Amino acid sequence: MKSTLPRSPSFGFPSRKQAWRWLLPLFLALLFVTTLIWLPLHEKHQETIERQEQLIADSLWVEQTIRFQLQRNEESLGLIGTEIVAGYLNGPRLADRMERLIRDNHEIHRIIELDAHGKLLSSTDETLISYHDLSAASRRAAERARATRTPLYSQPAQDISGPVMIDYQVPLFSGGKYVGSIIASYLASSILDDMVPWWFAQDNEIALTDMNDLLIYKRASGGVGRDVYTHTRALNLAGLSLKLKTNSIKSAPKLLPSLLVDIVILLSFGLVWSLIALWRDINRRLAAETALREQITFRAAMENSLVTGMRARDLDGRITYVNPAFAQMVGMEIDDIVGRLPPMPYWAPEAVDEYQRRFSQVLAGTVTPQGFETIFQHADGRRIPVLIYESPLVDDTGKQTGWMGSILDISERKRIEDLNRQQQEKLQASARLATMGEIASTLAHELNQPLAAISSYTTGALNMLEWQHDDAVPTEASSLTHAFQMVRTQAQRAGQIIRSVHTFVKKREPTREAVTIKELIDSVMTLVELQAQKYFVAVRTGIPPGLPPVLADRVLIEQVLLNLTRNGIESMQAVAPDKRVLQITAGLDDATSTNIVVSVIDQGHGIPPEVAERLYSPFFSTKADGMGMGLSICRTAVEFHGGTLTHSDNPQGGTVFRFSLPALQKDLIATTMPSGEKTQRNGK
Amino acid sequence: MLHIVDDEEVVRDSLLWLAKSRGIQAAAYDSGKAFLTALDGVGRGAPQGQCVLLDVRMPEISGIALFGQLAARGLAQSFPVIFLTGHGDVPMAVDTLKRGAFDFFEKPFNDNKLMDRVQEALAASEQAAANAAVHTRLAALSSREREVLDLILDGNMNKVIADKLGISMRTVEVHRAHIFDKMNVKTAVELARLLK
Repeated sequence: MKSTLPRSPSFGFPSRKQAWRWLLPLFLALLFVTTLIWLPLHEKHQETIERQEQLIADSLWVEQTIRFQLQRNEESLGLIGTEIVAGYLNGPRLADRMERLIRDNHEIHRIIELDAHGKLLSSTDETLISYHDLSAASRRAAERARATRTPLYSQPAQDISGPVMIDYQVPLFSGGKYVGSIIASYLASSILDDMVPWWFAQDNEIALTDMNDLLIYKRASGGVGRDVYTHTRALNLAGLSLKLKTNSIKSAPKLLPSLLVDIVILLSFGLVWSLIALWRDINRRLAAETALREQITFRAAMENSLVTGMRARDLDGRITYVNPAFAQMVGMEIDDIVGRLPPMPYWAPEAVDEYQRRFSQVLAGTVTPQGFETIFQHADGRRIPVLIYESPLVDDTGKQTGWMGSILDISERKRIEDLNRQQQEKLQASARLATMGEIASTLAHELNQPLAAISSYTTGALNMLEWQHDDAVPTEASSLTHAFQMVRTQAQRAGQIIRSVHTFVKKREPTREAVTIKELIDSVMTLVELQAQKYFVAVRTGIPPGLPPVLADRVLIEQVLLNLTRNGIESMQAVAPDKRVLQITAGLDDATSTNIVVSVIDQGHGIPPEVAERLYSPFFSTKADGMGMGLSICRTAVEFHGGTLTHSDNPQGGTVFRFSLPALQKDLIATTMPSGEKTQRNGK
Repeated sequence: MLHIVDDEEVVRDSLLWLAKSRGIQAAAYDSGKAFLTALDGVGRGAPQGQCVLLDVRMPEISGIALFGQLAARGLAQSFPVIFLTGHGDVPMAVDTLKRGAFDFFEKPFNDNKLMDRVQEALAASEQAAANAAVHTRLAALSSREREVLDLILDGNMNKVIADKLGISMRTVEVHRAHIFDKMNVKTAVELARLLK
């Protein structure tokens, strides 16, 4: 069978070359994914660093701003101090100056002037405060400032007015003598609140602590610091060391772009997974393909190695496929068979009608599932009995696309069946024939003796009488008498033998009943068909309906039919296959129309005249193993019914045997008794 | 003498009657054993012709076996055997023919034809016996006498014979007389006929 699969390249799983092809993209994909994972991390890291650096820079800037501002204030206050010492600045002018300073620098909370004894000279606010009202830390700073003759900041502390303050003590010296101080008080909170630009405060929490990290003041206008990015700077002022702690409110970089990257990574994983899935799918397909090819090859091998013939036909009866076994069976090439429409070259001519009939049955869908037997014709002309099973060919959508048949050559089986049947028949026949044979052989043997003796005695007697005639020798009467006595004895003995043998013969009393010819023929049809099939003979019956019944002994007439049909079939053994047709017809005898005539017509070798003479004689047979009883019994049986058995030549070659049986008249009401008596009511 | 051997009385009786009706001297035996016993009593080389009529099938000793016995005793020629066979025994009978039986008849047979054949057998047997006798007598001749015999048979006169052999005529005459005596003939013509 030609393979209809497209040639596919040999796809191993996985060959080295293929694996290499897959490895590279996979590697690149992995590289890509790795990069994608690394990049955001790197970025994040970079950003962190940047932010940190930014914070540091900003913190530095803030620290410097604070310090510059404080320094400016220090300078302004220093100038005021100098002018006070110089005597330029006092009274309202001082107040004015101080007022202006405060006004321009909101971070300064209050400026007071104290004299040498610590008594308040002037103040920018209404608080009446003197040296003693200052906080301890402030006083300490004042003393130190006086001692060092330099302005100093005090530690943050609370004085009587309330909030935590840092006092900037400016001691005033005139000519080396302490004449008083100017004290500028900063609110601890103002340093941060007023001196740190809002945009920095917005992004950072700033805390002011002393050197021991004790919190002085915290500004968190933008929110609480996240402790992610922090920086601590020292804020060194004269006499005061503080720490400026900045704590960015920004958390670690959000990896928002990294989120996208995550998605990409996910998708990449998806891609990889898809690739893997694709690889697996391809391999699965390859495996399926291989399995399919194996299956097909296997199936082809099966079909090719089958002994049973397979034949597929489409719905028109055109052959679409045959396997080698079928082609071999009919002796043709597969190509010669496929594509043909009926009539098929392997159809045996004598069975064409049967084929057509069955074919139309097949098309109509009334096919038997058990299969049927028929005959095919081999290309060399010989007949092959086959067993065919047909079933609808249905495609995978459930629609019928044709017919599938399996054809089995049953010649062997038939031969064996035949053998068996023959054995059976012989067994059964021999039971009957045994008696006959026994009788015959017994008769032959037993009768031989007395007959031979009779022959000898009588010959002897005749010889003696001749002598007497010739030689005038008186024959002893006594010896003649003796001879004839012996003859008589032997004849009696012969009779006795026959009589004793006669008792073995069971003569069946024939019974008569009303049967139709059709019934009689139907009842032997099976046997006739069997016989016919054995010799590849087709049997055709032609029995018109409406024939009157006959009064007959079933068994006898069946025997007649069997005998005649067997003879007819056997006579056609050597005849061309297309002529092997046996016909059984029945009809009314035209002449009298009171007889029914049954004809058994064959196209065999016919009956030569010399045989015809002795045809019906008992013990005459043309068959090697024939008893020669057949036709003589047939004739007796037919004549017993009041009919006749004749034969004539078939003009087409062969013989026609005809026997007639009186038809049962319709107006003859007859009943049969079991003993065979017949009572008639309207005697006709 | 026709010897009828059959185990059936009817057969023996009817065949005896048949033989009698043809003027053939016959004797019947009911078994092969009886016949053989009788045979031993009969002198060898009896001048009369003999014939044996046997049924192939017999109890105890079958016809075939009996024939075998005869052949073993060298009597096949002097006692020609005719078999009576049934339908199925023909091959057996044919075989016996090959081994030297005279003939066989299938039952049922034509009685007179059988008797004709019996007569032929008797004649053959007689002839055989006669031949045997002649042979015996010939054997009794001396070599010289044999020579003379040959010359006589050639039709030579005594004188010629004497010349040929280098003996006297008287001697030839003496030889001649002895030959005739031994061969039991009276004339040369008889001699010639005998030796044909």
